[in-house]
Amino acid sequence: MKPILLKNQFNPEAYKVESYVAGGGYESLKKAFTMKPDDIIQLVKDSGLRGRGGAGFPTGLKWSFIPKDPTMQKYLACNADEGEPGTFKDRGIINNDPHLLIEGMTIASFAFGASVSYIYIRGEFVFGARRLEAAIAEAYEKGFLGENIMGSGFSHDMYVHCGAGAYICGEETALIDSLEGRRGTPRIKPPFPAIEGLNSKPTVINNVETLSTVPSIIKNGAKWFAGIGPEKCPGPKIYGVSGHVQKPGLYELPMGTPIREIIFNHAGGIKGGTFKAAIPGGITAPMLVEKDLDTRMDFDSLAAKQSMLGSGGVIVMNNSTCMVKVALITNRFFSHESCGKCTPCREGTTWITQILKRMEDGEGRPGDTAEIERLCGMIFGRTFCPLGDGATMAIRGNLAHFRDEFIYHEEHGRCKV
Amino acid sequence: MAKLTINGKFIEVKDGTLILEAAKQAGIEIPTFCYQADLSRIGACRICLVEIAGQRKLMTSCTTPVMEGMEVNSESAAVQESRKGVIEFFLSNHSLDCPVCDKAGECELQDMVYKHGPRKGSFKEKKIRFHEKDYPLSPVIIKNSNRCVKCTRCIRVCRDTVGVGVLGSMGRGAHQEETSFLRTYLDCDHCGNCIEVCPVGCFMRRPYRYKSRPWDLKSADTICPYCATGCTSKIQERDGEVVRSISKMGKGVNNELLCARGRFGFDFISNEDRLTTPLMRKDGELVPVSWDEALESLAVNLGAFAPERIGGIASARLTNEDLFLFQDLMRSAFKTNNIDSSARWNRDSVSAFIKATGINEGGVSLRGALEGVDAIFIVGTQISEENPVTDYLLRRSFDSRWVFTMIASARAMKLDSCAQLTMRHDPATENALLTAIAKVIFDDAGEKAAGLDCAELFKDLSLKDLSDESGVDQSDIGAAARKLFGSESATFFAGTEFLRFPDGLRGFSLLKELLTALGKKITVVPVLDRCNQRGAWDMGVHPAFGPGYEPVENPGLGNAGMLEAADARQLDALYIAGVDILNNYPDFETAEKALSKLQYLVVNELFLTGTAAMADLVLPVASFAEKAGTMTNQEGRVQSMSPLMKPPGEARTAHDIFSALLKAHDFEFNVAKPKGTFEKIQANVKSYADVELLNERSDKSLTGESGNTVSSSILEKEADEEDQTPAYTAEDLPLTLITGNHLFYSGMLSSRSATLGSLLKEAIVEINDTDAKKYDLKSGDHVTVTGRYHEGRYAVRVKNGSRKGVAFIPENFKTGPVNRFFRKGEWSQKVRLKKVDA
Repeated sequence: MKPILLKNQFNPEAYKVESYVAGGGYESLKKAFTMKPDDIIQLVKDSGLRGRGGAGFPTGLKWSFIPKDPTMQKYLACNADEGEPGTFKDRGIINNDPHLLIEGMTIASFAFGASVSYIYIRGEFVFGARRLEAAIAEAYEKGFLGENIMGSGFSHDMYVHCGAGAYICGEETALIDSLEGRRGTPRIKPPFPAIEGLNSKPTVINNVETLSTVPSIIKNGAKWFAGIGPEKCPGPKIYGVSGHVQKPGLYELPMGTPIREIIFNHAGGIKGGTFKAAIPGGITAPMLVEKDLDTRMDFDSLAAKQSMLGSGGVIVMNNSTCMVKVALITNRFFSHESCGKCTPCREGTTWITQILKRMEDGEGRPGDTAEIERLCGMIFGRTFCPLGDGATMAIRGNLAHFRDEFIYHEEHGRCKV
Repeated sequence: MAKLTINGKFIEVKDGTLILEAAKQAGIEIPTFCYQADLSRIGACRICLVEIAGQRKLMTSCTTPVMEGMEVNSESAAVQESRKGVIEFFLSNHSLDCPVCDKAGECELQDMVYKHGPRKGSFKEKKIRFHEKDYPLSPVIIKNSNRCVKCTRCIRVCRDTVGVGVLGSMGRGAHQEETSFLRTYLDCDHCGNCIEVCPVGCFMRRPYRYKSRPWDLKSADTICPYCATGCTSKIQERDGEVVRSISKMGKGVNNELLCARGRFGFDFISNEDRLTTPLMRKDGELVPVSWDEALESLAVNLGAFAPERIGGIASARLTNEDLFLFQDLMRSAFKTNNIDSSARWNRDSVSAFIKATGINEGGVSLRGALEGVDAIFIVGTQISEENPVTDYLLRRSFDSRWVFTMIASARAMKLDSCAQLTMRHDPATENALLTAIAKVIFDDAGEKAAGLDCAELFKDLSLKDLSDESGVDQSDIGAAARKLFGSESATFFAGTEFLRFPDGLRGFSLLKELLTALGKKITVVPVLDRCNQRGAWDMGVHPAFGPGYEPVENPGLGNAGMLEAADARQLDALYIAGVDILNNYPDFETAEKALSKLQYLVVNELFLTGTAAMADLVLPVASFAEKAGTMTNQEGRVQSMSPLMKPPGEARTAHDIFSALLKAHDFEFNVAKPKGTFEKIQANVKSYADVELLNERSDKSLTGESGNTVSSSILEKEADEEDQTPAYTAEDLPLTLITGNHLFYSGMLSSRSATLGSLLKEAIVEINDTDAKKYDLKSGDHVTVTGRYHEGRYAVRVKNGSRKGVAFIPENFKTGPVNRFFRKGEWSQKVRLKKVDA
């Protein structure tokens, strides 16, 4: 497949507006202005585009929830708070092809009538933030942003907002909190952001990859898009492969490419040993083992395997990997990033981390594994937002396949591998 | 209405009711932590999870509203298991130092573990410790974060209700700590509401810490003795010392709220300087005497003077019963109408204020006054400092319902941040400002207003002149006028500035009458700064009217008149009950001269104040904690209080003293307990006849109509007769000095509270930021304030957003009393500031 989202990855000039325009950039925006906003929403609906942030919510449907009242202030917020370990797909777009995102955001804003949009970018992406700011300045200069864009009568302002280092701000309501200048913690839903979001106004929050996909849909049509990959979740998808592989990196492939093909064909196979397990979509996603390797990498196929596509960040582990250590690293991340708002996530993830740390340090006690399982039960389904659930899914996925390694740690105080 | 079942029990509740509240109505208790009625809902603690048929997950009952046909189960196996789990999580990092925790015995976490918790926890890891020792956040708040359960009630009450927002979360996850920024000392209201809402022993009262266990305390329900908001609270003592004052969640006008004064200002009760025996002047010295000797001497001595040569001034802090007996004593025993309830407010100002705000027409509830109203106009009051809890209640009401709010005052105040329009006028120009607003409304109303009585009045008025006089922009005046004109209903909050500068009442009445004539529904809530000021007026402690505003035949002298008469040797004896005239009357010199010329001065007091020290007889009395009675707050709400303990030494209640004197005068007089006196009040005062003493937020405890009108010379004055305040302008005295209450200082009681003293250690003068820049001053600098009559040393406080050219010194500082700057009852003076080295 010819890359669509990553087509400019190896073009060192692509971040400049001239180069982007020369490659046919902002043509989709021009085309979008010839369409009715509602038709754009319908087109995106027809294309079957589903959000690339992890939840896979149909993008066109999300846009259609925004009230149609033209006098009402609406916002678009682009979620560029890419913080989940194993995920680095948005960074590729932001750093190498910022105008693709800007174009996508402007089209989306035009579709549901947002006059202002924000790119909420992870605080650590300093380079990306500067690049986006420079690109936005260029876009203003060239008339792709600002007053009366390309004579369409549509005006739009775009801002970059840097996060302050909290994973939770990738959760859409926490992102809004943070954008408003507060401490980012998830809010009660309802009201949903589409009704009461940023500054209590209707707000759409979309992932970088989702928005960057929009220009190609406008350009090539819904049918073209729906023809790529499986029927229920079509389109190109960026898979970020990391870990024990020969060629880690970003691979843009049709949605639903089997994980075996991604690891062995595209990423060059396992480095230093044999395949043990892979996390398919950022560390929240329960891991896959050898027998699952033919699973297709799309929302529905992975859900059928009790895992999830998430962000599409594949972490590959070879047979030298200690799964208790994996669990510790994963869970330490979640307890560190738990916002502290709700009790089960705050206390539970911390408690589990303490047990895992002990096990990893050779101080495991009989019953630790069972205790972890019990604690997962006390967290799952009772937390405020999906962060706590995610933490338990990761560890439960691990235990489902490698419980014996945990027991070994309990009994012998060291790794089995 | 929505019908639903909870645990199989069928109930019908209003749409939008939370499942939690619906369950409460059905008599089913669902445990909560982060939820608190009147605080914003966050659904964070997860203890209130319930099962709803058809829902995949358990839902928080504190955030989920009921739906028609909903089937809720709050006790299913899944719910109970989840609840146990959450409690186990709470305890995992909780310090469990209950044996030394102040909260033990009244701790919500303890209760919850006892009721719902697992009997055994399995946490064996290391607990997260934030610090070793408790650390102070203010002179009154001390903190132990190791006990925190992260419910964030403290943060929410501080931000949303108190409006200072000095608390927040530091850190994240299990390392999250609810505290001040970097744990620094707080600069806030020191109201301690964070302590009150804390479910565990995380926020503690510093003066109370380690003093007692809750089960060792004896309590009594009382009414706060400071401002007239009328907060109910519970004061508690151990071994004869009052150690704590707590609010009563869900009760009273204030609910869980109190301010610094109400929560920490009670320690004057146990002050060592309290008077314990009657003192009589013998050979120039005050010496202890027996009560028999004291009362006999009082009756004989006072009785010896002609009625017109006697006067009485009683404090607006006494109970209704005390005040009723006091005026009875003065009127029936000593046959005089020279009687007043304050050393501060002029007799005619009071009449005008009562008439203009409609106090004689019966009570208005604050809640009712805000319900469905279109606009709020706060004028003539420093509500955030004088009546802090009224400020909190207003802010809280804005949380659920936004109302267009306008504030007119010389000084900036905290409530400004809730207002859509703030008007900073020059001191004492309320009349010009309100008249200007009325003028704009009149002009806008056109024909609708043409036929009104006041039409003539507006003809010659110039908006520009009025705007110039008040210092408020015409655009702001116009905006206020148009908002009022465009509203169906408006509520005015009118406060003590109108008593200081009664001219303003003319403009106020004019505006009120005009709006009423134009068909608007106008409600006025008087904002008063002494707990029973309204009760004192209701009881007829006033020279011109008796109980229930019944006009008296020969109106007597007010405080100013009495002092003037004493100075002219036309008045020989004064009975002062609990008023420190020397420190309160806005002319120290006159007051001192007048008192020294008296032949006989009797003072009822808690302490040997300046006034008491000049007396011939000083009677020690009981404080609010030591007596029963009722008080009427600013709304006209009559509330009762009960005694917690016995007065110190031989001190007696004012009620006992007045009863004994009445008995001495009239043998038939039936000496009753305060309750009996209240029955007498109900029988004699029409507006009190139907009052029920509920101490609840019920309208049944509001006073009714008095049926009498109050006449006022001030309001009836023609505009051209206006006696201009002698505007003393001098180049070298560029600032206008005004006064009022401070958040931590309001009257004699607060100056005797060591805890309040620790919140504001020295006398201050407040100026705005522009003036501070001009005179090169900053907060904390020391200055001499020089007026025409007095010079004093003060610390500077800079307040952003106040009117420029205004200096403010709070009343009642023991050092640097502001009344020395004033003359002849005029409440403003010109002064200058000069920086001095510390």
